[in-house]
Amino acid sequence: MTITETMVGFRGVGKTYPKQALPVLEGIDLELREGEVVALIGPSGCGKSTLLNILAGLTDVSTGTVDLARSDLRSAYVFQNPRLLPWRTVLKNVEFALEQIGVPAEDRRRRAVAALETVHLSEHLDKYPNQLSGGMQQRAALARGIAIEPTLLLLDEPLGALDALTRSYLQEELLRIIAELKTTTLLVTHDIDEAILLADRVVVLSSRPARIREIFEVPFGPTRSLDTIIGDPRFGALRHEIRELLRPEVAA
Amino acid sequence: MTSTIEPAAGAAAVPGAPAAAARPAAAASARRGGWKRPARVILSVIVIFAGWAIASTQFPSYILPSPLDVWDQFLSAVGRGVWVEEILATVQHLLAAFGLVIVIGLPLGILIGRSKIAEDLARVPMIFLQTVPTIVLIALALVIMGVSDTAVIGVTVAGSISYFLINVIQGTRSIDPDLTEMSRAYQASEGSIMRSVVLPSVVPYLLAGARITLGVAWQITLFSEYLMGTAGVGFQVNTSIKLLDTAAVFMWGLSIVALTLLVEYGIFRPVERLLTRHVKGRS
Ligand SMILES: Nc1ncnc2c1ncn2[C@@H]1O[C@H](COP(=O)(O)OP(=O)(O)OP(=O)(O)O)[C@@H](O)[C@H]1O
Ligand SMILES: [Mg+2]
Repeated sequence: MTITETMVGFRGVGKTYPKQALPVLEGIDLELREGEVVALIGPSGCGKSTLLNILAGLTDVSTGTVDLARSDLRSAYVFQNPRLLPWRTVLKNVEFALEQIGVPAEDRRRRAVAALETVHLSEHLDKYPNQLSGGMQQRAALARGIAIEPTLLLLDEPLGALDALTRSYLQEELLRIIAELKTTTLLVTHDIDEAILLADRVVVLSSRPARIREIFEVPFGPTRSLDTIIGDPRFGALRHEIRELLRPEVAA
Repeated sequence: MTSTIEPAAGAAAVPGAPAAAARPAAAASARRGGWKRPARVILSVIVIFAGWAIASTQFPSYILPSPLDVWDQFLSAVGRGVWVEEILATVQHLLAAFGLVIVIGLPLGILIGRSKIAEDLARVPMIFLQTVPTIVLIALALVIMGVSDTAVIGVTVAGSISYFLINVIQGTRSIDPDLTEMSRAYQASEGSIMRSVVLPSVVPYLLAGARITLGVAWQITLFSEYLMGTAGVGFQVNTSIKLLDTAAVFMWGLSIVALTLLVEYGIFRPVERLLTRHVKGRS
């Protein structure tokens, strides 16, 4: 597969929320190529979620434009917290996303079950969200996103709220799922290792107002795993470089 | 995560009245207590009836009728067909008013809860409805509508709707904006957000509001019937007491209590359990 076609292009995008003097985003130029996974990493509060919200159509840009290559772009958004409907079972929560795009009732269940199988939640279809652990809830939220077969997957620190152990297992799951889907993915994370593991490119943002400081190409192929890259000297070097770039930002 | 879950049924705002207790928890502990707690409840009823029976021997029947007098009244009213007729008249007033309160109050409450403009416009009318004395509403209804079922229903709606509105407004404000945003991100229409996010969020408040409203509506309906002289239990109480038929007054009073309990346990609790299954917690 050749990764050439541009899916989304940010052209000089700036964002200032109403009644705020300090912009959140400034002069963002970024292209997402079809099928690629891009990680966004930056200090907290710098504007990463805002960037995803713009792509999801939840908020408008203040300056610049966002070019979409296809008019039928379908985005799925996995938020920092699960945001499941408490009064719906896991299965019905996934079906919710399918209802919104007009999937006929007879196909919804089948597709929702398939998505939940992908995230290993087949045993819990009929549970309510408050009967699941945090990690399971986040996996259900991921299933909701992938069930609609998105052309653009927005992941906002999907594993951010989880403990380190659950997190490292789910990172591997996520790696597998993203590789299977081949969907263009924009992943926000605070975790440098996670960014390198999952992404084809890592975009480092400055503190608010967020500007792109540098974009790193990740040299590892699509068949990587945490175990194979961790011993690779390029992994350590890349990690060091990103860390040093972020250090003054985070310390500031 | 538990903290983001909707408040349990019973969390509700009541103007000038004690809030509905956290019923689900109380009901659960009653079930766990085995036979002892229901036994105590039954014992209290037996004691009350025995005390009443003993006390009634000391007074003439027009002051304190005996339980047997009241039972005889009941049998005779049922035998003459009066009981069913009058209870039906009152229940019809009540259900018509209650239905109107829900049909008007639910969309109105959601509107007021979601729109600043509607909130500002509704502020004074709401205060008016909460504070105007029922007796004034009855007087006005008599002038405008005359002695009629419509007048009783109108007074009941006007006197009880604010209790329902306040709860629905509160429920609407409790909606988690994260869930609305999630719905928008998945292309949900406004109608779909209403059905899948707004209404389910409001349900526990709606149930609590409906329960309080029904309690208030019973009082206002009976009061209006008493004063207006339309058909219904309220008017029966009025005529009975004029004839010093105190046993009949007791009989009507107990009938209403029984009916209220029937509605609470036969309708409200099962509906509540059905609609709030998801708040049961981890299992
Ligand atoms: N709807 C909004 N209205 C006003 N200000 C907002 C809004 N959303 C975010 N902000 C502000 O914009 C800035 C960037 O927020 P954003 O959520 O995009 O940051 P973030 O990089 O995702 O942060 P975090 O790492 O904590 O998730 C913050 O200072 C935040 O307070
Ligand atoms: Mg964020």
